[in-house]
Amino acid sequence: MMESGLEHEVFAPTDVLSHATPDVLASHLPPELLSKVLAASLASGSMTPERVLETVTPELLAKHLPHDVLWACIAAAAARAGVTSGAA
Amino acid sequence: MNVKGFFVTALSQALDLSIASPDDVLRHVTPELLANYLPRPLWARLLTACMGASKVDAQLVVETIGVPNLCEHIPSQVIWACLKEIAQRTLGREVTHEPLVALPPPLVSRPTAAIPLSMTPPPAERAKTPAPGVPVAVGPSIPPPGSAQGLADVVAALESDERPSASGRSRSPTQQRFRQSNTGIGRLAATNTRRPQATATPTVSEPPPPPAARQVRRGSTEADAYDIETEVGKDDWKNALAVEDEQLVDWSGTDETVTSSETHDGYGRKR
Repeated sequence: MMESGLEHEVFAPTDVLSHATPDVLASHLPPELLSKVLAASLASGSMTPERVLETVTPELLAKHLPHDVLWACIAAAAARAGVTSGAA
Repeated sequence: MNVKGFFVTALSQALDLSIASPDDVLRHVTPELLANYLPRPLWARLLTACMGASKVDAQLVVETIGVPNLCEHIPSQVIWACLKEIAQRTLGREVTHEPLVALPPPLVSRPTAAIPLSMTPPPAERAKTPAPGVPVAVGPSIPPPGSAQGLADVVAALESDERPSASGRSRSPTQQRFRQSNTGIGRLAATNTRRPQATATPTVSEPPPPPAARQVRRGSTEADAYDIETEVGKDDWKNALAVEDEQLVDWSGTDETVTSSETHDGYGRKR
């Protein structure tokens, strides 16, 4: 779902990281991923949501982050798209 | 022993003084080490800072985490390796500028200390090399007689050795050195015409005269001046005041000059 939502631009990397905050990432990502994120940011000179998701792929997000966080991201995107109101 | 406190101070000072750069720190404190040893709240702070920063570099990482936190959580061996590299590099620069460095040996014994230590032994070896050079002139005359000739030959050889020793008057140049220095001192000797005796002694005799001359000069002039002041001030003080008022008004209008002129007037009156 995360990968599909990004692929179809239902939500953007920024939307993902608005839920998967640094606190959440730091608390749940394994050290290997954290080091990769930091190393990639140092190498490129910036840490953007797109670059973070290039390292922490949706699959890894789904693997390490709490699912309620990811679901909140999806639900918020659906709400912005008006899907939830139509369903109600 | 507070090693971490020492590390904090050393690394902070190194960064503040631009002896080290944040890149030097992250060369040792790699993202992997940070991920393994840094507490997650600090990681959250770091990620937040990186996300909000326009540029992510080592300086941002070090400043966000903080040197105290780095030294607190990262293994001491890693911090020490970082400090060691910084010290080696810094001391290496100093060695290039200044060949004689007394501090490197105790601080850094492995790389930089090898250079100064290698520098100190050579002088002793150099002293050995010239020494054999002198006896070489003496040596060749000794072995030939010792081989088969009699004592007379040995004596003759020794006598012949004395001649080369006369050729060893090369030592006389050292005497010339002293003479040259004496010529330099000869100025004072020329001034001290009192003692034509020894050209070499003036160096010893020089120190005493100057203090004596100084004492005589200073003591005489100063003592005379003070004596004159006190005596004159006591003698014609009131009469002098009557003359001063008129002259002071004519010379200067300011009070400061009057105060300063009082002394001058005293000297002028005395004279």
